[in-house]
Amino acid sequence: MHEMALALEIGGICERELAHAPESRLTGLGVQVGAFSGVEVDTLRFCLEVVLKERHGDVAIEIEREPGVAACLSCEVQFEVRAAPFECPDCGSVARGVTGGQSLQVSYLEVE
Amino acid sequence: MTAERVEVKQKVLSANDRLAAEIRADLTSRGVLCLNLISSPGSGKTTLLEKTIDELKSKLRLAVVAGDVQTRNDAERLERHGVPVEAIETGGGCHLNAEQVSKSLSGLGLSELDLLFVENVGNLVCPSSFDLGESMKVVLMSVTEGEDKPLKYPAAFRRAGALVLTKIDLIPHLQFSAERAVENARSINPELEVFATSSFTGEGLAEWLDWLLEAAERKRSG
Ligand SMILES: Nc1nc2c(ncn2[C@@H]2O[C@H](COP(=O)(O)OP(=O)(O)O)[C@@H](O)[C@H]2O)c(=O)[nH]1
Ligand SMILES: [Mg+2]
Ligand SMILES: [Zn+2]
Repeated sequence: MHEMALALEIGGICERELAHAPESRLTGLGVQVGAFSGVEVDTLRFCLEVVLKERHGDVAIEIEREPGVAACLSCEVQFEVRAAPFECPDCGSVARGVTGGQSLQVSYLEVE
Repeated sequence: MTAERVEVKQKVLSANDRLAAEIRADLTSRGVLCLNLISSPGSGKTTLLEKTIDELKSKLRLAVVAGDVQTRNDAERLERHGVPVEAIETGGGCHLNAEQVSKSLSGLGLSELDLLFVENVGNLVCPSSFDLGESMKVVLMSVTEGEDKPLKYPAAFRRAGALVLTKIDLIPHLQFSAERAVENARSINPELEVFATSSFTGEGLAEWLDWLLEAAERKRSG
């Protein structure tokens, strides 16, 4: 819903990183988006293209999806989940909570 | 020229998170309990706050930060109940962020407070991602929204410490099972405190108010 705001944050992170190396040009960007981060991946990609275009031209954007993982309340098994409710595939009880899939981070920049 | 890869591994919301951590440390050092209220538009946040203020203002020093996309209507409604209110108009923004809250806190005498409510923008999606420095997120859900809300918007329920089921006076007119709704919410977050309330009849408000008093007391005594 607020992908544009996120794209602007990411643009700011790029600027701060590039400030360390003023002669280099941004050519690539890697972002990790968790299944439970609430981010619409296609919308984020579109917003990033718009945000980065003006200053950096074409930047290769790689969006890596982090799968959703939950842990079982009873048997402590960890398992991948897509949609709630999260039921343990081993014992059927409900998950204690999400242990993976909440990330939203800039993984890397590619510069020349 | 060869391309070079620079590892960054930085959270996109790290600037917000840092500021939120500062707010939290500040509020904690002053013993202020801060609750961030999150729900769909119209779930009854402002109405519950009006009732809560009337009941608690003789016992606790209260204030509200009220966020809305447009208008200061909620802030004006709340001000009439005689507590300090700061309005944040997001101008289209679908959630409050730590910077907005930080600015409005400078208008409130924090040392003079026990309990600070933040009424977030009506939206069950975005606000749960933005840490505001609160002690706890409280999610509200009205009985007209359907029992499966927690399954459709799990993040809000997962990150909350308490759920207030609102407008229970309407249950007789609906096909709504409160048990099922709570079961769904607890399947997302087994540790949720749950309150079932009506701001119109007053049903269930006593439990909510007692819990607030206790939580504020615990916060004050560190
Ligand atoms: N029947 C009933 N209606 C309520 C209750 N609480 C709020 N409402 C109504 O729900 C509507 C939205 O309430 P409001 O507090 O403005 O919701 P907010 O958008 O979450 O702040 C208003 O018309 C209220 O009168 C309640 O306990 N019972
Ligand atoms: Mg309101
Ligand atoms: Zn948002």
